[in-house]
Amino acid sequence: MNNSKNKLKNLKKKIQHYEKNKTDISQNTKNSGASFGFKISTEIVATLVVGVGIGLVVDNYFETSPFGLIIFFILGAFAGLLNIYRVMRRIEKQ
Amino acid sequence: MSSSETKHSPLEQFEIIPLIDIKSGNLDLSVTNSSISMIITVVIITLFITFSVNTRAIVPSRLQLLSELSYDFIAQLLKDTVGNEGRKYFPFVFTIFMFVLIGNMVGMIPYSFTFTSHIIVTFALAAVVFIGVTILGFIKHGFHYFSLFIIPGLPWYMLPLLIPIEVISYLSRPISLSVRLFANMLAGHTLLKVFAGFVVSLGFAGFLPLAFIVALTGLEILIAFLQAYVFAILTCLYINDALHLH
Repeated sequence: MNNSKNKLKNLKKKIQHYEKNKTDISQNTKNSGASFGFKISTEIVATLVVGVGIGLVVDNYFETSPFGLIIFFILGAFAGLLNIYRVMRRIEKQ
Repeated sequence: MSSSETKHSPLEQFEIIPLIDIKSGNLDLSVTNSSISMIITVVIITLFITFSVNTRAIVPSRLQLLSELSYDFIAQLLKDTVGNEGRKYFPFVFTIFMFVLIGNMVGMIPYSFTFTSHIIVTFALAAVVFIGVTILGFIKHGFHYFSLFIIPGLPWYMLPLLIPIEVISYLSRPISLSVRLFANMLAGHTLLKVFAGFVVSLGFAGFLPLAFIVALTGLEILIAFLQAYVFAILTCLYINDALHLH
């Protein structure tokens, strides 16, 4: 009886030990440098692509070339910075 | 060592080759190596999930444990990011995660084709997520969903500037989601092939890049998993945004 209790305790310790290690591993994979860089750079590129796209469409429609492109390019750049700020805040929270 | 006779481009692996020609009107419905590898991926996932949980043992076998692990992984992810309402969307996120993950892993087998290295495939996946999440938001909140573009606590004179920025940021979601997966897979596989070219051209010293390729393959498998994880977690975050406005 006593023996099995001890066994259970040992098992509990073992599980706790593994659980601790598990969280450590997941923390490491989250902070991988290459994926972090890709995350940031795609965020900028994507918003700029959308900004330029909207700008070109607006110019085509209202014949305001090149002001639509300029304005929406700048707005796209701002949106990229805003997205990066949000990504950083999310990482900081974790 | 006849490397000078035929030059192999490191980008040759991404070429789409029609295997069975099917033409219907203006549509080209040919079965290509890309669609074959997608079919293989779906078949692998279906076989893996059905056979591994078929026994339904209380003490699971290793295969059953593996599928339970992947179930738990996504269920936990949804619970952490969306909360309990997120359970309804588990099949959607799990399907996308497994499709991207197994697709990446099938691409890691030598001589196979990586369909996630084509932007049209990843963009289609991201567009499904984007359109689905937008429809979900409108069903849940109606026209109130547009308040997603308004940051709370902002003075009114800032709104004309910030609403376009928020709209652009919202529209950039499918692009950043698809470009991230596509660029990672494309860069990794191209790098592998470039270094494989060095092995042949360096002659005896070729064992150095060969050793590097072994390490790089390990890194590629990590990236393949990580990108599937990122795709799934971003899908969860977008679902969360659609369900809970600010």
